Amino acid sequence: MKHNKLKISKIIDELINFCFSVGGTEIGVNIKEKPDFFEIHLSSDYKCENKEKVGELCKLLKCEKTEEMEEYYWHLTGDSDVDTELTLVGMMTDSCNIDITPNNHIDITLFRNK
Amino acid sequence: MITYIYIERRIIIDNVLANKKLFKADGTASENLKYLVFLIYGLILIIFGLIADSPNRIIYGLYKIIIEPDLLITDYIGVGGIGAAFVNSGLLTVISIFIMYHNKIRLTGATISAIWLISGFSLFGKNIFNVWFVIIGVLLHAKYQREPFAKYIYFAFLGTSLSPMVTQIMLGINLPRIISVPLGAAVGIFMGFILPPLASYLMRVHQGFNLYNTGFTAGIIGTVFVSLLRSYGVAIESRLIWTSGNNLVLGSFLIIMFLSMIMYGIRLDRNSISTWKNIFKYHGKLVTDFTILQGFPATLINMGINGLFATFYIILIGGDLNGPTIGGIFTIVGFGSFGKHLKNIIPILIGVFIGGMTKTWSLTNPSVQLAALFGTTLAPIAGEFGWKYGIIAGFLQSSVALYVGYLHGGLNLYNSGFAGGIVAAVIIPIVEAFRKDEF
Repeated sequence: MKHNKLKISKIIDELINFCFSVGGTEIGVNIKEKPDFFEIHLSSDYKCENKEKVGELCKLLKCEKTEEMEEYYWHLTGDSDVDTELTLVGMMTDSCNIDITPNNHIDITLFRNK
Repeated sequence: MITYIYIERRIIIDNVLANKKLFKADGTASENLKYLVFLIYGLILIIFGLIADSPNRIIYGLYKIIIEPDLLITDYIGVGGIGAAFVNSGLLTVISIFIMYHNKIRLTGATISAIWLISGFSLFGKNIFNVWFVIIGVLLHAKYQREPFAKYIYFAFLGTSLSPMVTQIMLGINLPRIISVPLGAAVGIFMGFILPPLASYLMRVHQGFNLYNTGFTAGIIGTVFVSLLRSYGVAIESRLIWTSGNNLVLGSFLIIMFLSMIMYGIRLDRNSISTWKNIFKYHGKLVTDFTILQGFPATLINMGINGLFATFYIILIGGDLNGPTIGGIFTIVGFGSFGKHLKNIIPILIGVFIGGMTKTWSLTNPSVQLAALFGTTLAPIAGEFGWKYGIIAGFLQSSVALYVGYLHGGLNLYNSGFAGGIVAAVIIPIVEAFRKDEF
């Protein structure tokens, strides 16, 4: 088994954990399965005192996709409420768009090829 | 001789650095440069070995290393001499680097730690003969999954912790060679074949708080396998081949090596010392990749400082610098790119130290020296939950590591990873249950 859909679930779990950690109170998730890829869209508010942590998100999610890391470590995503595995999420996705708006709102769109 | 080699190396490096492909457009180190740095350290291990002994003694020493069983604790310096041990380590390091490079693996912290694990354990358990069977097994798994080998490369290199199983069956049990040799090969290949799904799955047990996850997996596999062997009357007893008296020459070599890492990190980026301090804010839990988070220069500095600290720890407690302890030091160095820093390893060592003061064994007991060095697998516990829990983790780890080895018969080289997984599986749920803060 390749666990492709389970990996998508874990990526979303990880991002939701992150949104909670930055004080998110209204989190929306939307997933689209296309013929060749999955598109994951997540939006959330955050508390302004966590602005630095939100800024770090961009650096971590824009990690280059690394399949050998994903194969070994993917089980760690979405499993911890004391820490986040955003570097690993970055390594499990092919590309991402992050939009941080001035009114303390984040929009994240991730693409993961099949 | 050492000065001549240093000058030669300096000239080579300066010429190579002139090639712009070693630096990206923004001036940061490229993948080629990072690979070159660690390739040079691998070559240095070989050169050190060639200096330490004559070629004839090295060749004979390598032969002895190959034919000797490799279960814990087998110091290759005691088996084949310093020269053969370091040439073995250097050869495996260089070969591993070439395989990683050929498979276009990014030189992240995970890659660096895997390479240094190979370097370190090639001084006491992995050799140029016994590692290939597990690697072939992983390759076959990749073929079965119709995936490139590159995707499973970490399993392949880290899984060589089970290499002693191969030689133990080939050479250490009472069967005719015509049966035991192919049987050992088959067992090694089988271990490699089943390793990837197991290692990936068992990560959940400790949630990444045990850095040597493959050690935990190998301990589980080893326990099952050795239990089977014992059920058929095969006796597997641990052993101790341990050298001492080489602290001056080995200590000098290590200190120069680690100082060079620090100096080169500063040379790559003059601000890397202040960047290095940022590393302390990370807990160290898997996956904490310092090359991504703080950059390669700061990571090199962290590796060098970790190495110096671990070396001085052994020297100051009156321990021995030899194959196994240098293996432990190299592991701390390698994971200096992937989770470990002074702030999270010191509490673990304090815990082991307190154990040494109160338990029935002393700090200079060989197993305790290794328990201290390899016990830093639990550094993330100190990083995440604080130094008190780090001390508790170290205190428990030092006992568990001493006694779980019997389960796998010493055939899992990453014994501390096995012990660390057990300790983490016990400590983490308890600490989290009583912890009030969450998101």
